[in-house]
Amino acid sequence: MGPLESLRLSWRSIAGHKLRSGLTMLGVIIGIAAVIAFVTLGASLQAGVIGDISPDDQRNLYGWAADPDVEAGPGAGAQPVFSQNDLDAVGDLEDVEAAYGYAPLQTQTISDGNETVPQGDGVVASGSSYIRADTLEAGEQFESGEEQAVLNPAAAGQFEEDVEVGDELTITLLTGQQVETEVVGITDTSEGLSPFEGFENSPRVYVPTEPYYTEQAAEMGGGQQEGDGEQTGDGQQDGEQTGDEQQADGDQQNGGEGDDPQTAALAMQDEPEAEGADDAWFTAIIVEAESTDEEAIEDARDAATAYLESDESDAGEFLGDDLVVSLETSTELLQQLQDILSLLQNFIVGIAAISLLVGSIGIANIMLVSVTERTREIGIMKAVGAQNRDVLGLFLMESVILGLVGAVLGTALGFAAGYLGAWYIGLPLVYPLEYVVLAVVVGILVGVVSGLYPAWRAARTDPIDALRYE
Amino acid sequence: MSNTGTDSNPEADPSPGTHSNAGTAVSLENVRKTYQLGEPVHALDGVSLDVPRGSYTAIMGPSGSGKSTLMNLVGCLDTPTEGTVVVDGQDVSALSGRERTSLRGTEVGFVFQTFNLMPRLNALENVALPQLFQGISRSDRRDRARELLERVGLGDRTDHLPNELSGGQRQRVALARALVNDPAIVLADEPSGNLDTETEAQVLDLFAEFHGGGTTMIVVTHERHVAERAERIVHLLDGEIERIEELEGGPEGDE
Repeated sequence: MGPLESLRLSWRSIAGHKLRSGLTMLGVIIGIAAVIAFVTLGASLQAGVIGDISPDDQRNLYGWAADPDVEAGPGAGAQPVFSQNDLDAVGDLEDVEAAYGYAPLQTQTISDGNETVPQGDGVVASGSSYIRADTLEAGEQFESGEEQAVLNPAAAGQFEEDVEVGDELTITLLTGQQVETEVVGITDTSEGLSPFEGFENSPRVYVPTEPYYTEQAAEMGGGQQEGDGEQTGDGQQDGEQTGDEQQADGDQQNGGEGDDPQTAALAMQDEPEAEGADDAWFTAIIVEAESTDEEAIEDARDAATAYLESDESDAGEFLGDDLVVSLETSTELLQQLQDILSLLQNFIVGIAAISLLVGSIGIANIMLVSVTERTREIGIMKAVGAQNRDVLGLFLMESVILGLVGAVLGTALGFAAGYLGAWYIGLPLVYPLEYVVLAVVVGILVGVVSGLYPAWRAARTDPIDALRYE
Repeated sequence: MSNTGTDSNPEADPSPGTHSNAGTAVSLENVRKTYQLGEPVHALDGVSLDVPRGSYTAIMGPSGSGKSTLMNLVGCLDTPTEGTVVVDGQDVSALSGRERTSLRGTEVGFVFQTFNLMPRLNALENVALPQLFQGISRSDRRDRARELLERVGLGDRTDHLPNELSGGQRQRVALARALVNDPAIVLADEPSGNLDTETEAQVLDLFAEFHGGGTTMIVVTHERHVAERAERIVHLLDGEIERIEELEGGPEGDE
């Protein structure tokens, strides 16, 4: 008897017990659907959050200092310990191409002439090479120290008339202070440019840390430097004094609150004790290696870490057992994210495996019932010439169909659930199609494993007894 | 036509049938079947019997006389404890389980008292079932099954499930199924036990008709009037052949 004939006969007996077969499949359906739904969500999440890593990004090492016990992903628990001097020194190291700070600016609005759009976050201060040349759609990178900005298409498109290279924008900071900037470039993507930003699409404005970040820090403390004329006079008096104190301190470190990094952070953001432009403290830094070679990246990492941990650096004073520098590439950072995702996925798969086990037991159970119920039919088939393997094949086929149909239904259900989930969270939908194959294989496997014993029992039924069976 | 009533002198059997497979559909020689039920019970105790091709044999006997055991042996469902059972020239004991199943599928057609049709298969599929296990193509099977259903007068019932057919119709389907592989013997176990007098007559008429066409029929029954349709009646008692009764219209008289 060919497999097609077995299929036809088996299908007939399954179709003859629709409710029973449906309930039997439920365990498999739920198990497979759970896996498929979460894998779909996971893949969509990866696609949505991570996006593509530009190959050129590979040479960048993203650094922060945090308690080594904190394991909550990149940048978690980071403290502002890196001074501009540190960055300059690291940038001068032999194995390092460049080093610069990274800091999101807290802003309120951006104005293009008379038109003002709200912009709460997404203004990022960094070094000039943060904007890689190959990601520029138009214009060029901003120059450090210049009042220039690069926008991404989403930011440029916020205005009634798209912002173009050469336009002048006014950025209103959280403090109410307004700063001018000239647009010198537009990027080709609205996704984040580094793991620090996150990778989702959103309007972003990139400006040099110098003057924008350093000056903001200074402004909050009352700015020693003459800014861009827009600054409020309010803080200036305080600032002058503070500045004096600091200079007297001689140790061009953070303010009088001591060398606790937490205080440095406060100083940078809220406290009026902040320093001048040179004394801005960074929470996040980016170190560029000479090339994308793994060796070059290692060298840069070692050199930068060694310097930052040494006593020479400002950061070295804070670093120790409780505060450790991490310098990692995008890939390594994403690896952490993926580790978390896959951990979650393993957890779900574990639950699904239990569901599949329960499903298998359900199939085995119902197949045993079916074999007993159809003892007489087995007897008839054997009387008219069915070989043991024909009977075995027939029942095995039946349980495989149950497993397979359960898997297919579960896959469809899982995709539907994944679709709804991704739609609800607002992620780009990615179907991990390789999992369809896996689901089908698992379904068949479940069918074979759970059907083997009942089918074997059916096959070795004695036709004489079976024909007498009532 | 030859037989030996007991195991007294099987070698002395003068019939050419015992020595020529061509003439004998089934041959039992000194067959003993023993079941171990606490102490050994001889369901058959030294039975020798030849069933010539084209014959019509009835086997009668009270309950426990060994009818069912004999039928299981002739139908290749079981093997004897002692002695030999030869079906269509092949020694059943010498065959492997698979070969025995194969022999049963092709050379034995069963008709049961309770019809034993597959409940989820229609009449046509039930008739075609034995050929399914012989690897015959679907279209050939259907043609053959349709032809046989027409011959038993059910050409218009091919799509009906067993529970949509009357008892007589079911037994006719079963007869068609028994004949589908063109077997050496048709083995009927109380074929009319579940039928009323009228349908019983119809079914037995069909038996006679197929017998007339050359099919070897063995009918196990405990009803005299059913047995009388045959050419001879083998009377079993306590696992032994009590006597063999030749009836009128024997092989010579039966065209």
